[in-house]
Amino acid sequence: MAGKGGANPATYSPSPTIQKKKAPLFKEDWVRPDGRGFHQCRPAFFRTGAVNAASGSAYAEFGNTKVIVSVFGPRESKKAMMYSDTGRLNCNVSFTTFATPVRGQGSDHKEYTAMLHKALEGAIILESFPKTTVDVFALVLESSGSDLPVVISCASLALADAGIMMYDLVASVSVSCVSKNLVIDPIFEEENYQDGSLMITCMPSRYEITQLTVTGEWSTPKINEGMQLCLDACAKLAKIMRSCLKEAASDSKE
Amino acid sequence: MERPDGRTPNQLRPLSSLRSVLHRAHGSATWSQGDTKVIAAVYGPKGGTKKNENPQKASIEVIWKPKTGQIGKQEKEYEMILKRTLESICIRTIHPNTTTSVIVQVVHDDGALLPCAINAACAAFVDAGIPLKHLAVAICCSVSESGYIILDPTKHEEEKMKAFAYLVYPNAVVSVLPEKSLQVGDEPMANGLITSVTQGSMSVDDYLHCLERGRATTAKLSEFLRKNIEPKSTSELSKAG
Amino acid sequence: MGLPNASDDLSSEMEVDAFRRLFPLRFFERHLAESIRPDGRPLGKARDTSVFLGAVASANGSALAKIGSTTMLTAIKMEVMTPSLESPDEGCIAIDFHMPPICSPIVRPGRPAEAAPVISKQLFDTISSSGLVNLKELSLVNGKAAWMAYLDVYCLDADGALFDAALLSAVSALSHLQIPAVAINDDGKIVLMSEEDGQKQAQEQVNKEKRKLTLKSIPFSLTCILHKNYILADPTAEEESIMETLVTIVLDSSGQLISLYKPGGSVLAHTSALQDCVALTRQRVKELKSILDEQNSVMEIEQD
Repeated sequence: MAGKGGANPATYSPSPTIQKKKAPLFKEDWVRPDGRGFHQCRPAFFRTGAVNAASGSAYAEFGNTKVIVSVFGPRESKKAMMYSDTGRLNCNVSFTTFATPVRGQGSDHKEYTAMLHKALEGAIILESFPKTTVDVFALVLESSGSDLPVVISCASLALADAGIMMYDLVASVSVSCVSKNLVIDPIFEEENYQDGSLMITCMPSRYEITQLTVTGEWSTPKINEGMQLCLDACAKLAKIMRSCLKEAASDSKE
Repeated sequence: MERPDGRTPNQLRPLSSLRSVLHRAHGSATWSQGDTKVIAAVYGPKGGTKKNENPQKASIEVIWKPKTGQIGKQEKEYEMILKRTLESICIRTIHPNTTTSVIVQVVHDDGALLPCAINAACAAFVDAGIPLKHLAVAICCSVSESGYIILDPTKHEEEKMKAFAYLVYPNAVVSVLPEKSLQVGDEPMANGLITSVTQGSMSVDDYLHCLERGRATTAKLSEFLRKNIEPKSTSELSKAG
Repeated sequence: MGLPNASDDLSSEMEVDAFRRLFPLRFFERHLAESIRPDGRPLGKARDTSVFLGAVASANGSALAKIGSTTMLTAIKMEVMTPSLESPDEGCIAIDFHMPPICSPIVRPGRPAEAAPVISKQLFDTISSSGLVNLKELSLVNGKAAWMAYLDVYCLDADGALFDAALLSAVSALSHLQIPAVAINDDGKIVLMSEEDGQKQAQEQVNKEKRKLTLKSIPFSLTCILHKNYILADPTAEEESIMETLVTIVLDSSGQLISLYKPGGSVLAHTSALQDCVALTRQRVKELKSILDEQNSVMEIEQD
């Protein structure tokens, strides 16, 4: 018989024998661990209709960051909810236990849940589904940096797949400030050494921002540079998302 | 093969059962097989069903209370099996949109716990007057390394065996209806299986032997269950009449 | 159900989709009478099945299994523990089955699905009953250190036959699992070995090189619906909700019965029906085994 259920003994994951030197990121002439240019995003892959049981869904893969988002509804709101003329948006972001390099608990991520809600709220035409709720649930299968921007972009694609009315697709990109350099779409290792980060969520065709988060120490010119980088990347990302939707639509026609 | 308590392979441990042991519950019963003992209490039917339940039918809720400690996956599984088993013997169209709660308290576990709990719950259902299609009787069959089958094992015996099966059958029906109407195809209804849960690996033939052996004892069990129900219901009737 | 006569009158005029929603049982029975199912399958046929090994890069073993649109992702992470006193030369496997809210409209965040702990338990029972993994192979240093394999199954899309897909992905992940090469350091802790320093610390090595588990005969399962005299293999979520009597049979590749699971249900299972289910499962085990073997050989070629 394998181990008895219930109390499991304390475990640890074996660490590598040689600790990797932490220095390279701070040197003047460092290269990014995955060999990208500072202003180059990871190749983005999107696919709609990943989950059949949902009204709409999308899968996104940026390098090793892999995310699935399902959209349910519009459906009956919870009984405890007050009457509302406009629709409600309900979000949830959770991680698998194997998402992070060290095995986690696989619990809900409260902070990301709130951020996802804020980022999408402004883009959805809530008046189009009064009295009902749209649920947007995200599961991070593997986490390898820039998780939240990937979740947000993927969620807007899933909403489009579900036929929920939006003003525009929502695309999101973040930059990290590592010593003097700005690196776009940072991976896990880069996020660990960053001095500051900036994330923009925007509706590219309307040139409107739905969410802007800045942490760490930034000079004004750096912020401007970072924002411009993000906005340009968002516009490109939205093009990829749009072509994914067009592909799905033409596939279903055939 | 010798059994430590001197029973023959097909012999069950002494059965005992009491009804209406709790006066607050709508129906209750204890059931013991040797040292394994379970109390079941039934409350309801009360109005409304939980979410995700079909409101066109009566729904059943099972709460499993272990002897000690908190409930884990094992208890959740037992709850689910009990719920599905009880749902299949109830006439669920009589009280649509109601929930009947069953609380199962384990008093002592000395092997064949789940069958004992199913028998207790069934007796408690009768005590509560819930409309049933037929009774259910549960039995545990164990298969040894050499393919030898023993019935109703104790905990000690369960640990030594390579596999066991919990089997639930409908009781042998005593009915005024013509015999043909109780047949499904070529086999009598009482030969059908309501629930089967197995653990350990055995050959398919071993399992089929278990089915036969289990079926042979259902008559004895259902007779005991029925006898246990009868005296009280006749005394109630005479009071009412 | 409630209005048998009304349905007869209405059915001639009603559109197929409306009929399917209003009288689901009748809709299915009409198909069954013609020996076909609404998705075009014959009664005894399972849906298209695929397995993809190594889906999670950061895990020691992983697999994605799809049966129809039911999708399961399993990842195994190996950690080190101190073995228990009763079995100092054995490791441990912890199995967990998760149903995140993305997989089905029934699951809501904060309220775990009722089915999840039951399927966890079934998976654990099945894998330990079948003796698939020899736990002694997970031992590192007798009485001091052993592997704890955390096996997590995530349901990504729930469309019926959840246990079958979960078991398929779990055994596939176990067949893909590679135990990392480790050594013991001066503090008595287990550390990973990279390829370069393997030579230097030859004395301290505990597990010399990456290795796979030797798996005994692998268990595979098939769930069937019993409805009247019909047997429907590999049901979808819709079929499971309409016809409630399910039988899940697990056989290992040598034909031993690992589990015969029938939790209640309104239809009584007679011996002949059970034997038919076993026959269907035998066939299915062969199919699944060849799918898994094919994937494993593809992996070997890629590694060479």
